[in-house]
Amino acid sequence: MIIEAKNVSRTFRSTKKAEGFKGALGLLLKPEYQSHDAVKNVSFSIEEGSFNGLIGANGAGKTTLLKMLSGLIAPTSGEVRVLGYDPFKRPIDFRKKIALVMGQKAQLWWDLPGVDAFDLLRAIYDIPSPVYKERLNRLAELLDVTKHLNTQIRRLSLGERMKMELIGALIHWPKVIFLDEPTIGLDVLAAHKLREFLKEFNRVEKATIILTSHNMEDIERLCSRVLILKTGEMIYDGKPEGLTKKGECRLRVRLMQKPTADELAGVSGVPAAAIKTPNGGPEADGEAEAEDEAEGHVDRDSVYFTTKVDLIPTVLQKLMAKFTIVNMGIEEQSLESVIQRLYTQA
Amino acid sequence: MNTLAKLLRVYAVQIKNNFVREAVYRVNFLAGMATDVVWIGVEFTLFTVIYANVPQLAGWTKPQVYFFLGIFFASDALFTTFFQRNFWNFSDLVNKGELDILLTKPVHPLFLALTRWINLTNLFNLALGLGIVVRFGPEAGFQGGWRWLVLAMWLLVGMSTQLLLRFAFSIWIFWTERSWAITRMYYQFFQFATKPDTLYPKMIRYLILTALPFAFISSIPARALLHGLSWGEYAGLAAVLGCFLAFNTVMWRLGLKRYQSASS
Amino acid sequence: MKWRIAALVNGFKDATAYRVEFLFEVLGSAFVPAAIQWVLWYAMFKIGGANEIAGMGYSDMIRYTMVSLLFTQVRGGDHDFELQEMIRSGQLSNYILRPVGLVEFVYIRGMAPKLLIAGMALAVGSVAGMFFGISPGRLLGAMVMAFIGNVIHYQIGAALATTAFIWEEAFSFLMVKNMLVSLLSGELLPLSLFPKNMQWIWQSTPFYLYVYGPVQYSLGHWSHAYFFQQLAWSGVWLVIGWVLIRASWGLGMRRYLSLGG
Repeated sequence: MIIEAKNVSRTFRSTKKAEGFKGALGLLLKPEYQSHDAVKNVSFSIEEGSFNGLIGANGAGKTTLLKMLSGLIAPTSGEVRVLGYDPFKRPIDFRKKIALVMGQKAQLWWDLPGVDAFDLLRAIYDIPSPVYKERLNRLAELLDVTKHLNTQIRRLSLGERMKMELIGALIHWPKVIFLDEPTIGLDVLAAHKLREFLKEFNRVEKATIILTSHNMEDIERLCSRVLILKTGEMIYDGKPEGLTKKGECRLRVRLMQKPTADELAGVSGVPAAAIKTPNGGPEADGEAEAEDEAEGHVDRDSVYFTTKVDLIPTVLQKLMAKFTIVNMGIEEQSLESVIQRLYTQA
Repeated sequence: MNTLAKLLRVYAVQIKNNFVREAVYRVNFLAGMATDVVWIGVEFTLFTVIYANVPQLAGWTKPQVYFFLGIFFASDALFTTFFQRNFWNFSDLVNKGELDILLTKPVHPLFLALTRWINLTNLFNLALGLGIVVRFGPEAGFQGGWRWLVLAMWLLVGMSTQLLLRFAFSIWIFWTERSWAITRMYYQFFQFATKPDTLYPKMIRYLILTALPFAFISSIPARALLHGLSWGEYAGLAAVLGCFLAFNTVMWRLGLKRYQSASS
Repeated sequence: MKWRIAALVNGFKDATAYRVEFLFEVLGSAFVPAAIQWVLWYAMFKIGGANEIAGMGYSDMIRYTMVSLLFTQVRGGDHDFELQEMIRSGQLSNYILRPVGLVEFVYIRGMAPKLLIAGMALAVGSVAGMFFGISPGRLLGAMVMAFIGNVIHYQIGAALATTAFIWEEAFSFLMVKNMLVSLLSGELLPLSLFPKNMQWIWQSTPFYLYVYGPVQYSLGHWSHAYFFQQLAWSGVWLVIGWVLIRASWGLGMRRYLSLGG
C-alpha cells in the first residue's frame, strides 16, 4: 500500500469576529472560537500505480485531505503514511517523490517561457541533464506542446498553460501525484487531451495518482476507484461502476391524469419511494429538482419510475390499463446524476 | 556541503531566468533606473539646498554627507536587486496560498520565496552609488586602497540589515490579511535611513540604533569608513542584528505553524 | 450628477471601512516626514549654530513644518496609480463600457478620503491656529488652494498614467512624479531655501500650489492680493491639465481599442 490513512480527522478552529472596531477589540481580549470538522474519521489505503478519484461537493474536504496527504497540513487525529513517510514531517526524500498540482494555483513564472521554469525545477530536484532533457522531450511530445516550450507562459491559452504546469509537476518523475482539479476552466477538447495524457502517464510510468475534480468525465474516464466525501465523511469507496446499479434506469411517463405516488405504486407495483410525481412524492423536494435542473431535462409534468430494465414492459402495461399515456421515454442513469443524488441526499 | 552546492545551482538558474525576464521588458528596466536617478537627485538637492545655508551639519561636511548618500544608495541597490520584489510578493505567498507549492519542493521554502525575483538591472544603481562614493570619497576623508574591501563588507551589512528589517515587518502577513499598513509603516521608518544618524535627537537616534536599526543601512557603515567605530558600537551592531535574526527565525516558524493550522 | 454623488459616497465608505487603519496611515505618513524635517532644522540651527537661513529662524522653520502638515495629506497622489493598474491589467475594458467618464470616476472615488482629511485638517488647524495667531479665513483659503492642487496633481498623474498604454505600465513614471512633487511642493523644506539661481525650478511647476503656497498664505507671508493672483494661476494650470488629459487619453484609448482592448 503506497498511501494509507487511518481514522484521519482534521478540525479547524477559527475566531468569530464581530463587526467593527468593538468586534476587533473583543477579538483581542476574549476571542470566541468556532470549530469546524473538515475531514471526519476517514480511512482508506491506496495501491501503487492506481488511479483514484476523490470527489465531493464544494467544502466536502477534498482539498483538505489532499493537503494532509501531501504534507501541507497535519491531521488533527489519525495517521497518514505516504510512501512509508509521515507526510507532515516533509523529509526531503518524500518531497522528491511527490507532486502537487493545483488547477487554481500556478507555479510557473508568468513572464518566462516554460523551458526556463523547468530548468529551475531541474536544479531544485537535482535532475541530471540528460535525464532531464529526455523527460522534457517526452512530456512535451505526449502533451503536444513542444512548439510552445519557448513561449512566455502569459501568452499561452489556459489549456496550454495547464499542460505546462503538468510538465513542471512531473519533470522529477514523482511516484505519487496529487491533482487538485486539473481540468478546471478547460474546454472539452483540452480537458480530453489532458485526460489522455494522465491515463498514459499512469499506465506507462505506474505513478500513483489521486485526482479531485468536479468534472465527472474525468472520473469516469480515468479512475479505477472513487472516494466520495460528503461534509468531511467518506460515503463511498469503490469502483465507479458500483455507483450506477447495473440494469437500472429511469422511466419517464406523461399521463393525462394526475394520480398520486401511492396510487401509482398500487397500480404499477413499483415501490412509492422509487416514484417521482410532478405534484410531490418522495423525491420531489427542492433538492431533487435542483438535481434535475442540473441534468438539463426538467419535465415538470412527467412521472419518473426508477426500476429494473426488464420490468419496464410490465410496468407500462399496468399503467396503460388504468391511465392514458401521452408521452414516454427511458433514461440511462449517468454517474453524474448518481453522484448528484449522493450529494443532495440527507 | 552538498545542499549548499545545490542551493547555489538553484540560485544560478534563478539569476539566469530573471535575466531572461528582464530582457523582455526593457522599458521597465529604463524606468526603474530613472526612478532611482530622480530619487538620488532629490536627496542630493535637499542637502545641496541645506549646505548652501550652513557649512556643517552635526559634524558632517558636505562631501561627507554626499559620501554617506553614496553608501546609502549602493547598499539599498543591493537589497533592491536581490530581495525587494520578493517582499512585494510576500503577501501573495500567504494570502493566495502560493506557499503550498513551495512547501512541497525539496528545498527550504524560504530560500525559494526570497530568491524568486532578482532585479539585475538595479545593479546599475549600485554602480551609481559607488560612483558617488568614488567621486566624494577623497574629499570626505575616505582613503581607499584595501579599505574598499571593508566598504564592500559594510555594504553587505547594510543589505543584510534591510533584509532582516523588511522580513520582520513582512512576517505579520501570517496573522493579518491587510499587510499594506505595516508595509507602509516600514517605508515611513525607512526614511530615517536617508539621513546620517548623528543628526537625529537622542530619542530617535537611540531608536534607529536598536529597535528599528535603520541606521545600520548606511549611517553606521559611513561613519565606520570615515571615522571608525568604538568597540561598543561593533558589539551593539552584532547584538541587534543577532536579535533580529533570532526573532525572524522564531516568527517564521510560528507563522508557518499558523499557516498550516489555518489553511483548509 | 447622480453617479458622481454615488461615487463619492462609495469612496467615503471605502476609506472609512477600516477606520483605525485609515487614521494610522494618515498620522503615520504625516508624522515621519515632519519628524525628518524637524531633525534637519534641529541639526542646522541647534547643532550647526545657524541663526537665520533665507530669512527664516528656527521657530519659523518649525512653524512652517507644523502648518505644512495640514496640507501634505491633502495633496494625494495615489489614485493615479489605480488608473495605470487598470490599463496594465486590462481591467479598463470593464469600465469603458460604463456610461461614466473613467478618469473622473476614479478621481471622485479617490477624492473622498482627501475631503475627509481636509476637513479634519481644517478643524485641527483652526483650533491650533487660535493659539498661534493663524486666521481661520486664511486657513480656509489655503485649503481651497491645496484642494485645487490635489486636482492638478491628479490631472498630471492621469496624463502620465496613459504611458501605460504604450509601455504596459506607468508605475515608475508616477513614482518619479511623486518624488519630484515631494521636493518641489515644499513638503520637504520651504521652497524659499532654494539658492537664488535654483528658484526658477519650483516656480515653473504647479507643485508649489500643493503645500508651499497654502502654508505661505496661512502664515501671512502672502498678501491677499498675491494669494488671489496665485489662485488665478492655479486656474490656468487646471485648464492645462484638462487639455493634457483629453489629449493623452484620446490618443491612449485609440491605441488601446485598436489593439483589441
